[in-house]
Amino acid sequence: MKRIIASLLSIVMLMGLLCSCGGKSQGLTEEERNIIVIWHDKEEAVAEALLTELQNSLPEVDIRLEYKSNLTEALKMVGNDPKAAPDLYFFAHDKIGVYAEMGILEPITELIAKEKLENACVGITLDAASYKGEIYQLPIYFETLLFMYNRLYMADEKVPETTEELYAYMEEKTHGGHYGFVEQHSTAYYSAGWIHGFGGYIMNGEGKPGLNMPETMAAMEYHKKFVELMPGESEYATVNTLFQEGKAHSTIGGPWLVSASRAAGMDLGIAPMPVIDESGIPVSPYMGVQGVQVLKYAAENKTDTVKKVLDALMQPEVGIVLAKVSGCAPAVKACYEAEEVISDDVVMAMRETAENTIPMPNCPEMDIMWTVAADMLVNINMSGQDVKESCEAAQKKAEELIDKMQ
Amino acid sequence: MKGKEWKEKGKLLLINLLLIVVCFATLVPILYAFSVSLNEQNSLLGSDFSFIPQRITLENYRKVFVEEPVLLWLKNSLLLAGVTVTVSLCTGIPAAYIFSRKRFPGRSGILQTLILLYAFPSLLSMTALYKLLSPMGLINTRMGLIIVYTGTMAVFALWNMKGYFDTIPVEIEEASMIDGASPIQIVMKIVLPLAKPAIAVTAMMVLIYVWNEYIFAINFMTGEDAYTLAAGLYSLQANETSGSWPVFSAAALVVSLPILVIFFALQKNMASGLTSGGVKG
Amino acid sequence: MKPLKTKKKNTILFSYLWSMPSLLLICLIVIFPIIYTGYISLTNMNVYHWFTYDLIGLKNYREALLVFDSGFIPALLLTILWTVVNMVLQLVIAYVLASLLNTKGLRLRNLYRTLLVFPWAMPGYVSILLWKTGMFNSQFGLLNQWMEKLGFSPIKWLAGDGIAFICCTVVNLWLALPFMITIIDGALQSVDQSFYESALLDGAGWIERTVYITIPSIRPIIAPSVIITIFTTFKQFDVIYLMTQQAGAKTGAHIHTILTYAYENAFITNNYGYSSAVSIVIFVILIIFSYVINRKPKEEV
Repeated sequence: MKRIIASLLSIVMLMGLLCSCGGKSQGLTEEERNIIVIWHDKEEAVAEALLTELQNSLPEVDIRLEYKSNLTEALKMVGNDPKAAPDLYFFAHDKIGVYAEMGILEPITELIAKEKLENACVGITLDAASYKGEIYQLPIYFETLLFMYNRLYMADEKVPETTEELYAYMEEKTHGGHYGFVEQHSTAYYSAGWIHGFGGYIMNGEGKPGLNMPETMAAMEYHKKFVELMPGESEYATVNTLFQEGKAHSTIGGPWLVSASRAAGMDLGIAPMPVIDESGIPVSPYMGVQGVQVLKYAAENKTDTVKKVLDALMQPEVGIVLAKVSGCAPAVKACYEAEEVISDDVVMAMRETAENTIPMPNCPEMDIMWTVAADMLVNINMSGQDVKESCEAAQKKAEELIDKMQ
Repeated sequence: MKGKEWKEKGKLLLINLLLIVVCFATLVPILYAFSVSLNEQNSLLGSDFSFIPQRITLENYRKVFVEEPVLLWLKNSLLLAGVTVTVSLCTGIPAAYIFSRKRFPGRSGILQTLILLYAFPSLLSMTALYKLLSPMGLINTRMGLIIVYTGTMAVFALWNMKGYFDTIPVEIEEASMIDGASPIQIVMKIVLPLAKPAIAVTAMMVLIYVWNEYIFAINFMTGEDAYTLAAGLYSLQANETSGSWPVFSAAALVVSLPILVIFFALQKNMASGLTSGGVKG
Repeated sequence: MKPLKTKKKNTILFSYLWSMPSLLLICLIVIFPIIYTGYISLTNMNVYHWFTYDLIGLKNYREALLVFDSGFIPALLLTILWTVVNMVLQLVIAYVLASLLNTKGLRLRNLYRTLLVFPWAMPGYVSILLWKTGMFNSQFGLLNQWMEKLGFSPIKWLAGDGIAFICCTVVNLWLALPFMITIIDGALQSVDQSFYESALLDGAGWIERTVYITIPSIRPIIAPSVIITIFTTFKQFDVIYLMTQQAGAKTGAHIHTILTYAYENAFITNNYGYSSAVSIVIFVILIIFSYVINRKPKEEV
């Protein structure tokens, strides 16, 4: 028996040894320094356009753009491991806080002069990319949700300007399997627009949850009557299929819906978000900035190559091409001098809306809020629970969980 | 005698009918996927569904093979599955045989502990395994995945085959021992043929596990070229904003087909190798 | 005396030598993560100390036990109910189907078998997605289309607690039955036919044969698979989470098993030390649970 224990122990120790002696990398060769691995989770069209642009402007760099499912979780796992981690990754700005706190991100200003960034990029995108005073992302394009309608049912002049008009339209048109308006009413990302429209928030910039604010509760209470005229399911597939099949006259959706709907032959209209009668503020959904973050290891060991890539990404051509394939608004100001950008009504509507709305918080605490807020929305909208009680309970839960993060 | 024969026939007919109904019920979601995969429009959801779509097209299947690197994924899956099954059997059979036949200190303790390991919630195991494999340089390699898969299935393989070995009467082996056969000869010539069903079932389980596993495959491997079928399929639907339901359904069916063919072919071997002799127990 | 002792020693050495590869793999892939999780549970590894964590003793366990507050007991009870319902249905249905498949003179046996294992040939998440969107969706799902044709009003299949529990059970059975049928089917074939012949001569009926011959004969063979399935069912996460609670697609049903409960109350904090402690506590609860239902894990000799 002793021997078994002894042999088991030695196995465990061996494994421990193997784990602890993970190789500190000795300096990279010239060739290795010339390889830049970029992880992303974008659609194929965007990835291809990006890769082509980079290859054209930097033929000497070996760029490897790799699609990664579960990118955010994978990054937490690989951390800064030079063997497995990418050099850069292309993703929304809302995870910056998590990775910055983990210590795997390099502030982008270490690689590009701050002044140059500020001169080149739309201001709001840099604000979104800042965490605790440092900028961690080179913004490429930004996006938000838009009010979209099917011209087959909703004429341009019938587009509701206020939420009460929208409600009247819904009451009139929602019957027989048709819906006047649909949205993913019980997910935090979509409902945030209503909460902001009342002056509330899910979480503010300092990482403080605001689920029990009177403004948030008022938004929830008001929003409920709209939910009653929408289908019980709130997930992406149902809502978008209803809209694309012509069963829903209008919706709130992201830029990806534009190309899909147009491809399906719909005469799609885009309008400003309706203004909430009570507050006079339009429904204001979150804004997201898609951009490139640099991992510390790459910044320290491949400095020159990384700088070259970042420079190439700041060229207006990149923004223009990506805006066209993604339907988003380029972050580089110079792009807006190009005729093809100015004439694109989706891109311009996107810029107009996104610049006047609120960026997603990027603090680590936000990771929790997506789940807690969604739970609260489901309780109110789908399980019919009391607004005040649900909001108070959700706030308490959020505070508890934030406590547990440390 | 005639009456009895009729009764038998009636019983068989009834059982056949029952099994047909059960099979159909089982297949409803799959027939649904099949119908969607033949559909021209990009929609899993449609309000006017029928099992036979109005406008049939094989376009989605063409897309699966032409636009996605499915053949490459298939090759990866086959390679991984083949090696994992082989390694699982090569390590599992000796261990199962020893644990069934030999009595040594620590034996029953190990057996019981092994099964309790299944009680561990493995939601966090991913990071631990990463910490284990990364220093050995096994991340982003097939070798790493094979080790993970074999290890994950090892407890099942050991227990499942041991349970079957237990039912093979030891007297058969003792008889050959007297005839002068060596232990290895006995295992190869007598035990293995008798245990064929258990080995076939174990191999099938390992194969299916590897075939359908995607969490390790997407987290430990980077780049579309290294994906297995299950991982590739996952990446097809993960990006729901640009996903195409008919293509996804077609891909899902294409992925499951090889397993069914192999299962059908293995049936013969899963039938009992025991024609005579008793059961211990 | 001496040779006997050497012989025994040899047996031990021989035994461990031959089972070493398998045991080594199990140590690496199954036991190492448990030890590692145990170690991390004693540290403050979280977003703020991802690489620079320190040992902090049992603090995480103190907090982990606090999680098990008012919401935890209902989740535990529901998990037990879920496990019992699923296991009973699974065993009964699999046994009946496997017996039918073993009927003498059944020509299409292999075809039936292959069709019945179809659910197994697809990755789990594909099947769950298919059920959720294809079958249960209240707007477009096949079930509601059938309801409509039959003149009933559509049902929100996944919105209520009770009905969502039933739907999840159906999906779980669909996913798990192929394994159970295959195991029982294989075990049934190893039962010595001569037992039945003598029983038939004694005039025993189907039920008597099942209770006195078949079940005792197959029990040792299927026991490990059944125990493993009990654990997997107890720990089931994917089915319930993906069907009713997936981020962005919650349905309004509140069915929480201990794992989904732990997920929402611990794992989403990114606090790795704390989540590890919760995992270990669940591990211990499950082991205690398994001892309660079965004093000693089945190891038939």
